[in-house]
Amino acid sequence: MKEKVLIANRGEIALRIMNACTDLGLDYVVVYTEEDADSEHVRRSLDHQPHGKRAFRVASYTDPNDILAVADHAECTAIHPGYGFFSEDFRFARRVTVRDRPLTFIGPNWEVIKDLGDKINTKRVANSLSIPTIPGTDGPIYNEMEAEEYAEQLMADQKAQKIKNPSILVKAAAGGGGMGIEEVREVEQFRRVYRQVQNYAKRQFGDGGVLIEQCLRDYNHLEVQLVCSRHGERIHFGTRNCTIQSTGRQKRLEAAPGFDESCFAYVFNAQEVLDRIVDYSLKLAAHVRYDNVGTWEWIITRDGQPYLLEVNTRIQVENDVSARISHIDGQHPNLIREQIRLALGDRIGYSQSGIEFKGSSIEFRIIAEDTHRGFAPWIGTINQFDFPKHDWLAVYTHVPFDRPYVIPSEYDPNLALAIVWGDSMAEAKARGRQLLREITIAGENVAGAPISTNIPYLEAHLDKLLTF
Amino acid sequence: MEDQRKRLLKLEERITYLVHIKEGSEWGNLAALAEKLAHFKHSFYDFAEEELSEEIRKVEDAVAFLEERFEEHLTAMERVRIVRCPQRFTLRDILENVYEDFTELGGEEDVNVDPSMVVAKANIMRRVKNKVITQQVMVIGHEKGHGEEFRNGGSSKPWGNEKALRYMAVAETEGIPIHFYNFTPGAFPIEDYPGAAQQIARNLYALTKLRVPIISVISEGGSGGAEALGLSDFRLMFSHGYYSVISPEGGAAIEGKIREGEKLPKELVAACAENLRITAEDNLSQGTIDRIIQEPILGARRDDFGFFRQLRYEVIRATDEVVLKTKSLRAFRAYEVKRRMAAAEAAEEPHIDISWDLHRDEIKRLLSLRSRKYRDMATNSFGGKASPAMALWHRLEKAVSHVYYSFRYDLLKGQQKQMQKMFQDVSGEGSVFLQRLSRPITEAYDFISRKPEAKAGKATAVRVGANPEERLERGDTYMSPLANEDRTVTCPNAEKFGCRDLWVPDLYGEFCGVCQTCGHHFPLEYEWYLKHLFDPDSIREFNSEIRSVNPLQYKGFDSRLKADRAKTGRNSAMITFDARVMGVDLVVAMLYSDFRNGTVGSAEGEKFVRACDRARLRRRPLLCYVHTTGGIRIHEGTLGVIQMPKCTLAVREYLDSGGLYMVVYDNNSYAGPVASFLGCSPYQFAIRSCRIGFAGQRVIRETTGQDIPPDYHSAKSALRRGHIQGIWDRREFRQNLYKALMTMGGRNLYYR
Amino acid sequence: MNQDIDFDAILSKYRSDPFDYVHIHTRHTGRVRFKVTEGAQVKGAGGEWHHLPGSLLFVLYRERNPKPIYSSTFGEVSALRRELEGNFVEANEKVMTIKHPLTKREIIESILRKVLSNFNAPERAKYFFAMDIQARIDKFGPRAVTIQPGDEVFTMSLMKRDIPVYYSGEPGIIHSIYFKPGISVGHGEPLIGVCPPGRLPFIQKIISRVKAEWE
Repeated sequence: MKEKVLIANRGEIALRIMNACTDLGLDYVVVYTEEDADSEHVRRSLDHQPHGKRAFRVASYTDPNDILAVADHAECTAIHPGYGFFSEDFRFARRVTVRDRPLTFIGPNWEVIKDLGDKINTKRVANSLSIPTIPGTDGPIYNEMEAEEYAEQLMADQKAQKIKNPSILVKAAAGGGGMGIEEVREVEQFRRVYRQVQNYAKRQFGDGGVLIEQCLRDYNHLEVQLVCSRHGERIHFGTRNCTIQSTGRQKRLEAAPGFDESCFAYVFNAQEVLDRIVDYSLKLAAHVRYDNVGTWEWIITRDGQPYLLEVNTRIQVENDVSARISHIDGQHPNLIREQIRLALGDRIGYSQSGIEFKGSSIEFRIIAEDTHRGFAPWIGTINQFDFPKHDWLAVYTHVPFDRPYVIPSEYDPNLALAIVWGDSMAEAKARGRQLLREITIAGENVAGAPISTNIPYLEAHLDKLLTF
Repeated sequence: MEDQRKRLLKLEERITYLVHIKEGSEWGNLAALAEKLAHFKHSFYDFAEEELSEEIRKVEDAVAFLEERFEEHLTAMERVRIVRCPQRFTLRDILENVYEDFTELGGEEDVNVDPSMVVAKANIMRRVKNKVITQQVMVIGHEKGHGEEFRNGGSSKPWGNEKALRYMAVAETEGIPIHFYNFTPGAFPIEDYPGAAQQIARNLYALTKLRVPIISVISEGGSGGAEALGLSDFRLMFSHGYYSVISPEGGAAIEGKIREGEKLPKELVAACAENLRITAEDNLSQGTIDRIIQEPILGARRDDFGFFRQLRYEVIRATDEVVLKTKSLRAFRAYEVKRRMAAAEAAEEPHIDISWDLHRDEIKRLLSLRSRKYRDMATNSFGGKASPAMALWHRLEKAVSHVYYSFRYDLLKGQQKQMQKMFQDVSGEGSVFLQRLSRPITEAYDFISRKPEAKAGKATAVRVGANPEERLERGDTYMSPLANEDRTVTCPNAEKFGCRDLWVPDLYGEFCGVCQTCGHHFPLEYEWYLKHLFDPDSIREFNSEIRSVNPLQYKGFDSRLKADRAKTGRNSAMITFDARVMGVDLVVAMLYSDFRNGTVGSAEGEKFVRACDRARLRRRPLLCYVHTTGGIRIHEGTLGVIQMPKCTLAVREYLDSGGLYMVVYDNNSYAGPVASFLGCSPYQFAIRSCRIGFAGQRVIRETTGQDIPPDYHSAKSALRRGHIQGIWDRREFRQNLYKALMTMGGRNLYYR
Repeated sequence: MNQDIDFDAILSKYRSDPFDYVHIHTRHTGRVRFKVTEGAQVKGAGGEWHHLPGSLLFVLYRERNPKPIYSSTFGEVSALRRELEGNFVEANEKVMTIKHPLTKREIIESILRKVLSNFNAPERAKYFFAMDIQARIDKFGPRAVTIQPGDEVFTMSLMKRDIPVYYSGEPGIIHSIYFKPGISVGHGEPLIGVCPPGRLPFIQKIISRVKAEWE
C-alpha cells in the first residue's frame, strides 16, 4: 500500500516535510487552523488540485483528536509531528501507534520518547553507562541531611578541581523552565536555600523533591545529530554549536561543526572532545535502542569536560545545519527525508564512513521582533519578502514571496530559516553577512509602523554571537 | 333533637374518614350510606325523633360493622393514609392530653425556628395511692398539625433537628428522661446549614451516649427524619402507625423506575407499601420496635381521650422499665409483678412510684444496655454467620488479640523513655508470637472449611481488572478495564474550560480518570482505589463471608441480589479490610457502587460495626471510603434504617475509646449513611467532582417544590456549608490520606 | 457624544428586520448527523441556572465520541447544509444558520454598543481581565467597577506572552463586556463598553425608551 503522511505541523517545517515526501514519492496531507489559512503550506496544498484535497482545517495543531480524525478520513498511514507540538509527546506517539487503526509515528518509538523525555531518568541511564552528566543528584532528594551531605561533596569536588567561585544549584525536581532554581555559593547558606526551594516546590508543584547539581558557568552548548533506523543501525551527522541559546536568549543562530578554532582558542583538543561526545551519544542510543533521528545535547566546560544535558527525541529546527557540512557521494543529505524513510522501515543504506564532513555552516532565524525592546514579537502585514539565490544558501519559509502576508498572532513570528555554508567558518560568516544584507523584507503594522526584524541585530553581532 | 344532630354529624365524620382511608366510596357501599345521611340531614325535621334515632342507629350499626371489617383487613397503604389523615392526633394533642402541663421551648406555633419540630418541657403525672406524683420529662417530637401549612407536615428542617439536639443536651444536664414522638414523613431534604444529613448524624451521635433514659414513640416514622429522634432505650409504636425506610410513593418511584412528573400507578404504591413491611406488627417481629400501643379501631383521632390515658400509662411504664433495668434485675421483676397484679385488678394504672433519677453506675448500665440493644438489632437479617466452631475460634482469636493489644498499648503506655526500645522489641516478638500461635490453627481451619462459596470472597480480596496482556503500560501497574477502548470522551466542563476530548486509554490510565484541563474526576471503579491507595499487598479482607440476604422476602429482590453477587463476586456492598498507607496500618470499610449501588443493609451494617470493633481492638485508625452509597437499602425496610443508629453507635464507641475515624466520599453519597455513621465523623473529606447530600435533586424537587442549582450537592458546596473538611484530588489521595492520618492522628494514630 | 440620537431611525431599522442570524460552525472535525431540519424551531439553554441544554442541533462524531451540539439561542433553523449529512467536515465549517428573533435586551445591548464609549482591542489576541479587575467583577458585578485611564484593565495574551493593556478613554463604569476570556478578538473589535458616570441617565433613557417602545 502506498504510504500517505499526515503532516501535523505548520510553518517552514510543514513545507520541508511536504517537499521531503514529494522527493520520496509519498502522498501527504496537511492540517491547518483558521489563522493559518493564508500560510504557504496550506496555499500549496489547496491550490494544486490534481491529488485531490490535501489540506484539512482543524481546531488546533495540538488537538490530537482532530489530527487523528483527519488522518483516518484522508486514509493516512503515517504522521509526521515536525518539531514542537506533538514531536516529543510520548502519549501522542503511543496513541498513534496502539489505536485500533494504527499509524506510523515518524519519530522514535513512544517508549524511547518517554524514557528520554524524563531528564532525571536520562541522567540515571547515562550514569549507568559511565556517560558523564552534570555532577549532582540523579533523583529528587527529600531529606535535608542527605541533601546537605551531597551539597558539601559537590563543593569539595569543585575545589579539588580548582574551579574558581564554585557553586551549586538547588532545583525543584518537579519544576522546569527556570522556575524554582537557586544558586548556593557557600555551604553555610545551603540549608536556608534548600528549605526555601523545598517549600516553594511543595507549594508550587505539590512535591517537595529537590535536585542538587554543580553550577556551571562559561561553557559551550553542543548538539550531536544522530540518525538511527529500526534495524539497529546508528550513524551520526556531526556536531552543532548553539551556545547562544544558553545565554538566556531565544535561539537565533546555530553553527556547525561544534567547535571551530577560528572562533575561539580552546585549551583542549577540540576534535577529541567532539569525537568523545559523538561516541557517548551513540553509546546511549544503542543502549535505549534509539530508532530515528535525534539530537543529544551536551555541555562542554571551558576546560573541555563534556556533560550530557538531555536528548531531543525529534527532528530539530537546525537539522539542516548538520546536513550542510555532511556529504554523501558529494551531495548534502536531507535529514527530514532520511527520517521519514527510516521511520517507514527503510535501512540506512550507507555507513558512517560514507559520510564526509567538510566546511562550516551557519543558520540564521529571521524573526519579526523588536530587538531593542526585549525581543518583543512584532505583528503586522508583510508586503515584500525576498531572498537572494545562491548555491551556498538554503532558505526555508512559510511566508509567501508573491503576496502580502499577515503574521498570525496565535503563533511565534518566525519568518524564515536561512542556512549558509562554505569551506571554512570564515567563508560561511562572510556569506552570512552578505545574505543578511541582501534580504528584502517590508511591511507595516496596524499603527503604520514599519516592520522590525532581528536582521540588523544579527548583522551587528554576528562575530560576537559566534565566539565560542 | 340536638342529640340526633350530633350523632348525625359524628356519623358523617366517620364515613368521611372511611372514604378518606379507602380513597373512594365504592367499598362497602359507603356512597349509599353517605347519601342516606344526606337525606336525613336534608329532611331532618320530617322525621319524628324516635324514628330518626332508629334510622341513625341502623346506619351506625352498618358503619360500625364496616369499620370492624375494615380494621380486620387493613392494608399497609391504608395505614399510611390513616397516619396522614388530618383527623389523626398530633403531638400537640398528646402534650395537652397525656402530660399535665408543658412549656414549649424554642419557639411557639408558627413563631418558631421550625414549627414542624416541637420541644416542650412537660410534667407527667401518676397516682400512687392517693398521692399525685409529677415527673418532669423533655418531650421532643414532630408536629404535623391538623392541616396547618406552616407545620410542613412534620417534615422538620435541619435547624429543627438542631433545636431538638440543643434540648436533648438540656435534658441531659437536668437529668430528666426524654420522650420522643415521631410524626414525620421524613426530614426536609435541604443542605442549608446545618444540613439535613449532617444534623441527623449529629443527633444520632449525641443520642448514642446521651446520659438519660430515652423513650421513643412512632406514629409516622419516615426513615432518616425519624431517626433523628429515634435512637432510644425503648421504642414504642402506635398500632396504626407506620415506620418505613422510605415513603411507599418514593419506593414505588424507584422500584418502578417512574420518571419524574409521571403518575405513580396506585397498585405499585400499594404493593410497595406491603413489601416494605411498615406496619407496627411487622416492625415488632423484625425487632425494630419493642412494644405496640394499641389504638382504637381504625386509629386514634384527636378526641379519643381514652387512648391518651392509655398512652400516658404506656410511656410511664416504658420509662419505668428503662430506669429499672439499670438498677437491678430484682427491682425490675418486682415491678413487673406489681404491674401484673394491678392489671389483674383491672386498675387503670399501677400505683407504683419509681424515681427516674439515675446514679452514675446506673447511667453506665443504661448506656451499655442501649449499646447492646442496638448491636443486637438486625442480626438475623444477613447471611454468612459463623458456624459454632468458627464462632468459638473467632472468640478465642479475639481474646488473644485483646490480651496482646492491651499489653501492647495499655500496659506499656506511659512507660519511661528507656522502656521504648524494649517495648519495640517486645511488640515485635509479640507479633511473631501471636502469628506463630494462630497460624497453624488458621491454616487448619481453612483446610477444613474449604467450601467453594466461602473461599470465593477471600480469593478475590484484590482483583485486577485487566488482563496483563491487555495492559498498555509495562510493569506491574493496575490499569482500569475502562481504559481498554480506543475512543475519546468529552469532559462535562468542556464548555466552561475548553477541555480537550480525552482519549480513554490515557484518561483511565495515566491520568487516573482526571481531566487534564479542568481537573474534573471521571468515576473510576473501586478496584482502582484498592490498588492505588494502599501499600502493595497490604490488603487483608475480613468478614467477607457476611452476606446480604432478602430478610423481608421482598418480591423479586432475590434474583437481583443474585445477579449482583455474580457480577461482583462479593457478598455485600461493603468491603472491610486491614491495609497500610505508607506504612501506617489502618482498618478500612469501603462502600462501593457495583453491589446494589452501595446501599447499606443488615450485612453492610454488621460488617461496619465489626470493622469499628476491630479498629478499636487493634488500636488502628479507621477509614471509611465511600466509593458510592445510594443510601439505606430499601428492600430491607426498617432493618435497613436501624443500621443508622447501630453503626453510629459503633463509631461513637470507637471514637470514645480514642480512635481516629475518617470518612472520604467519592462519586455519589446520599441519604441514610451520610445522615448517620458517615456524617458523624469529625473528619470528612471528599474526592473532587463527587456529590454529597441527603436527598437527590428529584426528591428535593418533589418534596420542597423547588428546583436546586446543578452544583447543589457538589463537594465544593458541601465544603462551603461546612459539611466536609476538604476536597482531595484523586491523584493525591494517598499522600493526602497519609498526611491527614499524621496530622489528625497524632503520634500514635490512635490515642487522642 | 451626540445626545439626540435618532431613536425612530434605529428602532425602525430593527423593526424591519428584528432578527439576528446566528451561524453555527463546527468546533472541530468529525462526521455530522443533523438532528433538525430547515424551518425547525429551536430553543436555547433553559432552566434557572441555564443548566438544561437547548435543542439538539446535530451530533458530531469524532474518534468514536458522539458529541451532541445544542442550540445556544432560540429561533428558527433558516439554513442548513443538508449535503453535509453523514459526511466528514473540517473544523470551523459553517453547517447551519439560526434566525433568532432579537429580544428587547439584545436590542438595547446593540444600541448601547453604539452609544457607550468602547475600548477596542489593540491587537488581534486573546484578552483577559487583569486579576484585580476580574476579582472585583466577580464580587460586585461589572457595573460596580469604575476604571480610569491608565488603569491596567486587561492582560493581552499574544504569542505566548502576557502583556498588560492600560485603559485609555473616558473614566466610567464597565457597562458591557463584549469578549470572552481566552477567545481571540480581532484588532479593533470592542472589548468593553464604558459608561462615564455623567452619561448614565442618558443610557437609562435609551433603555427605558426601548423598553417602552419595543414589545
